[in-house]
Amino acid sequence: MKDAMANNNTASISQARKTVEQLKMEACMDRIKVSKAAADLMAYCDAHIREDPLIVPVPASENPFREKKFFCAIL
Amino acid sequence: MSERGVTLLSACISNGSFSCPQHWACPPAEMCDQTFLAITFGPCDCCSDTKPLMNIYLKNEPVNYCSLCVERMACQGLQPNETLATLKMESETLKTKLEEERAKLHDVELHQVAERVEALGQFVMKTRRTLKGHGNKVLCMDWCKDKRRIVSSSQDGKVIVWDAFTTNKEHAVTMPCTWVMACAYAPSGCAVACGGLDNKCSVYPLSLDKNENLAAKKKSVAMHTNYLSACSFTNSDMQILTSSGDGTCALWDVESGQLLQSFHGHSADVLCLDLAPSETGNTFVSGGCDKKANVWDMRSGQCIQSFETHESDINSVRYYPSGDAFASGSDDATCRLYDLRADREVAIYSKESIIFGASSVDFSLSGRLLFGGYNDYTINVWDVLKGTRVSILFGHENRVSTLRVSPDGTAFCSGSWDHTLRIWA
Repeated sequence: MKDAMANNNTASISQARKTVEQLKMEACMDRIKVSKAAADLMAYCDAHIREDPLIVPVPASENPFREKKFFCAIL
Repeated sequence: MSERGVTLLSACISNGSFSCPQHWACPPAEMCDQTFLAITFGPCDCCSDTKPLMNIYLKNEPVNYCSLCVERMACQGLQPNETLATLKMESETLKTKLEEERAKLHDVELHQVAERVEALGQFVMKTRRTLKGHGNKVLCMDWCKDKRRIVSSSQDGKVIVWDAFTTNKEHAVTMPCTWVMACAYAPSGCAVACGGLDNKCSVYPLSLDKNENLAAKKKSVAMHTNYLSACSFTNSDMQILTSSGDGTCALWDVESGQLLQSFHGHSADVLCLDLAPSETGNTFVSGGCDKKANVWDMRSGQCIQSFETHESDINSVRYYPSGDAFASGSDDATCRLYDLRADREVAIYSKESIIFGASSVDFSLSGRLLFGGYNDYTINVWDVLKGTRVSILFGHENRVSTLRVSPDGTAFCSGSWDHTLRIWA
């Protein structure tokens, strides 16, 4: 009984220690401001939006899903 | 080391992945003097063995320990004045400090910054193809890099490879288990991986010979102790990343079936994962039933960031195309956007009228649109920057369980419990 309790204790101590180490590492991370992060996300969108076929549709003949093609061959 | 060995080793390091099998056979001693090795692989500060390292802080000093020494350190007996209670208090103080640090940089909201961005026009998105053939709920699907083929898996154990242009079925495999919850296409297009209630991930090489029995060539790669919830090939056909109901994620070598790295940190089932777009390096994000989304370093196995703002299970995570952010869909009926460099949630996509959970999310090519498949049979299309819904798509007759945008962004495919897959464009 005492052994089981000791094991349980060791497990919870090790768990608690690992949580503390993990949190210390996360707390020391270099962060940037939300305004800068938002600006970067917007810049990426802006740079790629013209190539996005779902926003700026390409002509139907170039989008294989939009064109009306018939796949039955006449024998 | 032989000249060939050095060339192989530098090729492995420069492409950023451990995809060269010989890398693992290189004697550790010969790698110590390679100064171009990243800090996450090298001599451990505690035992001096050369291994993948975790960056941790001991007594507020940064050190690099191998995972074995981290475990040993964590299991040491209590120091004087240290009790379970003091450790718990320390972790609470650290959590508060973390929140304060994050809050300091919260100077503006994303949708405020996005006010000056042009609004999107009207969307005309319709079902262009319906793929019928599964006999039961479709659970997962993936696109091939050729932007045309799709693999899908369902509850009845069938895994089907389709040609999305013609809607023809090219291959079909019956798995020995039901509820095949995960499937993935290999980057080369020559194999598919799938798994579910069998707790394994199996790889099937696809052959051009239609008469060949695919099941005969099956290779069992991953072994978990609970169901497989998601799988994905890394940049090559040689490695697979899996997540499981046993709370862990794991990286496997396909050829040997060897476990290369395991990722522990979730306290409940892990339901989804997504690899960072290749330009940004060796990380991936996972989401689980513990409401947490964790970002992991694939080489050291360490969790580098963790986000816990959802109110229920996270069903789906997907990286923003630039790799600096990721979106998540959850049973709490919201989708959220987290920025990795700001280390916080930056947007919530929700409406009072949406009360059913989001099962699957994906971004359009530019990252401006976020598609979410929901349990109320609909697909909601969100403007990522402004936070508003731009469109709602109807068509499925049961829950939407999976959703992926094609590799070139011309269409997206949704799979549903109504046994069908739909291609929208």
